Order: sequence, then structure tokens, then C-alpha cells
Amino acid sequence: MSDLRSANTLFQISEPDAGNELDRREAGRAIGIDLGTTHSLVAVAPSGAEPRALADAQGEALLPSVVSYADSTPLVGSEARAQLVESPQSVLVSVKRFMGRGSEDIDFDHPYALAPGEGQARFEVGGREVSPIEASAEILVALKRRAEAELGHEVRGAVITVPAYFDDAQRQATKDAGRIAGLEVYRLLAEPTAAAVAYGLDRGGQGLFAVYDLGGGTFDISILRLRDGVFQVLATGGDSALGGDDFDRAVASALLEDAGVSAPSPSQRQALALEARRVKEALSEAERCAVSVPALGIETELSRERFEALIAPWLKKTIRACRSTLKDAELRATELDGVVLVGGSTRVPAVRAAVEDFFGRAPLTDLDPDRVVAYGAAITADLLSGSKREGMTLLDVVPLSLGLETMGGIVEKIIPRNATIPIAARQVFTNYSEKQTGMSIHVVQGERELADANRSLARFELKGMPSLPPGMARVEVTFQLDADALLTVTATELMTGVQQRVEVKPTYGLGDEEVDRLVMESLDHAGEDFAARALAEERVELGRVVLAVRTAYDEMGSIEGLLPESERAPLVAALEGAEAAMQDASIDDAKAIKRARESLEKSSEAFARRRMERALRAGMEGQSLAEIEAALAEEDKLERRRGGHGAETIESEGPQS
Amino acid sequence: MNATASTSASPAAAGSEKSETRTGVQMTSRAAKIMRDQITKRGNPKAVVRFGIRGGGCTGFSYLFEFDDRGPRDNDHVVEKDGVTMVVDPKSMFYVDGTIIDFETGIRGHGFKFDNPQVDDSCGCGESISF
Repeated sequence: MSDLRSANTLFQISEPDAGNELDRREAGRAIGIDLGTTHSLVAVAPSGAEPRALADAQGEALLPSVVSYADSTPLVGSEARAQLVESPQSVLVSVKRFMGRGSEDIDFDHPYALAPGEGQARFEVGGREVSPIEASAEILVALKRRAEAELGHEVRGAVITVPAYFDDAQRQATKDAGRIAGLEVYRLLAEPTAAAVAYGLDRGGQGLFAVYDLGGGTFDISILRLRDGVFQVLATGGDSALGGDDFDRAVASALLEDAGVSAPSPSQRQALALEARRVKEALSEAERCAVSVPALGIETELSRERFEALIAPWLKKTIRACRSTLKDAELRATELDGVVLVGGSTRVPAVRAAVEDFFGRAPLTDLDPDRVVAYGAAITADLLSGSKREGMTLLDVVPLSLGLETMGGIVEKIIPRNATIPIAARQVFTNYSEKQTGMSIHVVQGERELADANRSLARFELKGMPSLPPGMARVEVTFQLDADALLTVTATELMTGVQQRVEVKPTYGLGDEEVDRLVMESLDHAGEDFAARALAEERVELGRVVLAVRTAYDEMGSIEGLLPESERAPLVAALEGAEAAMQDASIDDAKAIKRARESLEKSSEAFARRRMERALRAGMEGQSLAEIEAALAEEDKLERRRGGHGAETIESEGPQS
Repeated sequence: MNATASTSASPAAAGSEKSETRTGVQMTSRAAKIMRDQITKRGNPKAVVRFGIRGGGCTGFSYLFEFDDRGPRDNDHVVEKDGVTMVVDPKSMFYVDGTIIDFETGIRGHGFKFDNPQVDDSCGCGESISF
């Protein structure tokens, strides 16, 4: 697409909507992927259906996030894990921890040889270099194939979840992995947000939620704020080296101690670890559990009470993290509207009890905590593929233009209809009068030319503007629409840095039908709208000139030599005529207003020139008039460049939540 | 609205002047012939060509120039020439009124050329479209 300026551009007739990315998406065919550190899984929720996780041929939904490069073809999942014992150097586990990280950033222990070089760290495995992005892509391919086999059609679109604390590089690495896997990543979704979406918490419109995610090896606590149907991550905390595996180890070392064994062999250790895990899982249901590790001669029993005492130190650690994260979010536990549990380790009753005790409310546990993140991803993917889901809207284009009201009630569009989000645009506005110390920002949505005919979204006032001659103040207004269609409008006075902002969800409560109606209305009213706009613009222009001339005349009209008597009468007549035209609301012809302004400009031209020359003589003695004129012309050119054009798009794509 | 009375006022935009009434959108015989050939080749003889302005894109506005199998909508301006129907929605009309569509063949390749008298090149910053 090229802009309207390019008079020399040659065009071809396009097919309808060609080049519109959204139309390539096939509604109801996208998948949601939870790309986890230990396990990954894929879920679908086609065309508004309830989400379900897809299992492999053995009926297993959780795919171990393990990739083996021991053979010429990479293996993924439990097959790859089976090779871990034989060739630990060639089997990559927990690659998620390396995503978007240079070797200098890797401050945790790992068994891998890293290739030398800057940028993304790369593993040396099986005689070649593999980046964590490529390894993740292998996992994604395995899940994509599983979905295609299950659904019977090709899969392209996907939503992949990432931890809320992932930075831009980590998010980009995840997106790249998706692209390499042949997926079109509609969006990266924060894991806690996905869990909240799976529970349908977004349907409530507003609220504060905690998501407690205790996996095998990591613990994350996130505080989310839901406003106008959009989640925002307020604070995150946790421990990247705390999880259900610690519970297993606590059980194992207690058993060892009981048995009086101090140095078990690797195979004894392996057998013990498996038994400890089984016992932990069994104790989530039973009060007591028989323990049997023949290799170590252990035949005993473990009570849930003892188990809970063993894991208590780790539970305390998670609760401490919850407390400090709530503090970061400047919230009290009682202010929350819900707590969501994520991760297999939250099946342990003691974990649930500790969470309930700390937050003072029973956590949400209806959904499988291993699958809840993938469910949320699947629902979001379905929406972004273009499916309609009850009570939910997710849009990747701006359905109606966003703008603000300028003098005369005219709408200046900042973000045009059908722009793809996320998008940011800014425009510089100026003051109308020297007495103006504030600017009222009225954010509107719609296609009509006058603010009154559009949807009013928000109003706020930028106060404390310096007193400057009309047209000299510089107020930059930025419209930023993020991936969740949350609009942040920021007004900044560029000289003083005074800033005000407002956040609003423009699509909240806006249905397809209303969008259609509003667009059609703007077509129906196009003629009168433009006439009204032209009139309003002329009135603003006239007001500007009248104000300037009136002020100048009152202040300097009687100064010797500035206004000869021969000019005075016509100037006063034109000024009074223009003032009368301004007062007369019945004039609805833009041209009549324009004539009044032009007549005033003409009759005050000489007066203005003499005033300027006088000011220059007073202020810039020593400079030649030619120099001054050149400086003024330069300033004038700069002025036009700054203020003389419409909204400018800011190229950026910030982190998405 | 009286700016002198209140200390706070709406932002003032850098104004632009709207044009006078023009003559509608026109196409040259050469452009019409190419359009007709393309419509025939495409297979739906009832298709029309939709011309207008669309928001979005990196610079705010861009031309819309595409086949439309649904035909003219209510309120559309309809231009017919040599068996070709071109439609312009009323809103776009304010921006493209007076445009002459020609077809050009030359060293830069083949394509339709829009001569839009409303496009104001005087800004010179190269970034914006102003009318």
C-alpha cells in the first residue's frame, strides 16, 4: 500500500481484502500451546467449544519438554527422555531457561557445552550447534503434528504462552520458535493470564486475581488486574528453583535417613526418586501410603501428616513470595476477587490449604492444573482465528477510528479505522490563546467529523501549560493501543514535560452490529458532516484571527505610527464585522466565514507588519533585517513541519501480556 | 466555544482547507478498457471496481482499489464508462473527488495512475498525506 502523495505510483486492482492478514486466518482452526519448562501441551477450543487438551497415541497429554539430538533425527518427549541416561550431553531438557539468553546471562547450573559467540546461547550437541529456539521449535512441531493428526486438518495459527516475567528477547525467541515450527503465532499470552481466561474470569469485566503456579521445578506467583475485560499483570514473583521436585527430594532424603543409608548408588537413587514421587501423588488422595524400595531394603509407610511436615519449608517459601508480590502490587490479600491454582504440584492438599490460609479464600481448582494454561491459550487462539465466542471479543484491527476533539468540536483522527493493533500514533497540537493554561482532551471513537456524533470514551485535562502566544505551545498527544486493544492516551506539554494520561478500552461493550451501524451512519451523513467540519474549521480559523487582531488593536492600536488613521476605520470595520460573524450562530456557510476572516486579515496586514518590525527593532538590534527575516522563514518552515500534518504512526511493538 | 472565557480549551489542530465542489471521479478510455479486460478475465462480469480511501497502513491513509463482486452499495457514487462500473463510497468521495484514473505503460511497468487534485504535496516532509 502506498500513501496518497505518490502521484507517480502505479496501481493494480486488488482482490477484495487481499493482503489482509486476518482473512487468511481460518476460524476455529487455531491451537493453544503451553510451552513449559518441564512439560508442554496443546489444546483446542474450536469455534467456541469448551477447551480440551490433545493426547498422544498413548493417551498422554503432557509432552515432556525434552529434545534429543543423539540420533540424526531429533526426538521429542518421552522417547527423548529415555535417551537421557545414555547420552545426557545430547539430550536437552528445560531449554526454556535458555530462551533469548546469551551465554553471559546464564547464571544457573546446566550440563551442556555452549558454543562460543555473542547473542543467543547455542548448545553443542551431537556434533552440531543447536539453539534453544530450534529445540523449542522441535517441541512445537511435535505438538502441531499431534493436533493435525487429531483434528484432521492442517494447523497454522497458534497462541503460545510465556511466563509473565519474560522480557522482549525471551518473547521474541518464543515467537521465532513458532515461526520455525511453521506456526503463525497470533499472540504470546502470559501464563497467568491464560489460566484466568480458562476460568472465564475475564467475563466479569473487572477484578483482581492471584495466580499461584507451582510446577515441577518452578514457582510463579502473579497478580493480575482485570479492567474492561483486559488483564494486566500488576506484579510477578516466585522462585525459579522451587517446585514439586523439591517435595520428592524431601521425601526421598527422609526415607534414606530412616533406612540409615548415606551413599546410595545412582540406580538406588533413581528407584528412590520414582517411589518418592509416587508416594507424594498417592498422598494427595490417601491419608497413608505404603512405601517400597526393594533396592534399598525399604518397606515402610508414610502418613500425609509426616509428608506435610517434610514439605512445610518449601510451602512457607512460596507464601513468603506471595506476600512480597502482593506488596509489590500494593494490594492486600482481602482485596483480591479470586485465586487460581496452576501446576501439577497444586494438587497436594497442603498446598491448597496454605494458599487458602494466606489469601483467606478457597482457590479455584475445578480445572486440571496441568492443563489450565493450555486451555486459556486455546480459547484465545480460537478468538484470534476469528471465531465468535459468547461474551468475548478480541480484535486485531481497530473497528472504529480513535481521535480527539479539537477546537470547534471537530474530530482529529489519530488512529484510523482498520489499523492493525498493536499500534501507537502521535500528533502535536497547539494552543489557541495565550490565556489558555490547560488543554481538555476529549477522546472519541467513530467515523463522524464532529465529536458530538461519535462515542465519547474519556475526557481529561492537561493543566499547568505555560502561557504562550497562540500556536506556540506544543502538546504531544500519543494514542497507544496494545495487543489487548487497551488504549492509553497520553498528553505531554513538550516545554515543561507536564503529562497526563488515561486508559480506556474502546471496544468494551461494542458489538459488530453497532460498528456496522456507526460506519454506515458516517457514510449516510458524509455530506453534511464535511460541510459541518468545514464550517467549524472556518469558525476556529476566524476566531484565531479575531483574537489576535483584537488583542493587538487593544494593546497597540494607539501607539504612535503603528496604525495610521487611514487604516484604522477599515480595520475596525472588518474586526467588528468578523466579531459579529463569530457571534452569529445562524451563519452556516463556511465561505461567508472565510470571507470575513480574509477581509480582516487583509485590512490588518500592514498593522501586523509594522508591529513586527517594531518588535524586531526593539529586540534584535545589531542584526540586519535580512538575517532576521531568514531566521523567521526558517522558523516558519520548522513550524509547518512540526504541526502541519496529521497523526504519525510510531513503530513499536511492546511486550504483550 | 470561547477560548478567552475559559482557561482550558480543546487542542487546536493545524488546519487544512477542504476543497470546493469538484467533478466526481473519472477514468480515461484506456483505463476503462483495461478494467473491462481484467473483469472479463477474472470471470465475474457483474463485478465492479471499488475505488476509495482506506485508513490504516503506516502513513494513515492509502488508496483502496479492488474488485467488488457484490456490486454498488446504497450511497455509493457510481461511475460508468465503456461497460465498466466503478464505485466510490461517499466518504472516500470527499478525498478523491476530481481524480482522473488513467492507465500507464512505460519503463516503470504497467499500472493505473491516480491523478488526485486534492492531494496537497506542499507539506514537503514526505511523511504525511495532506489534502
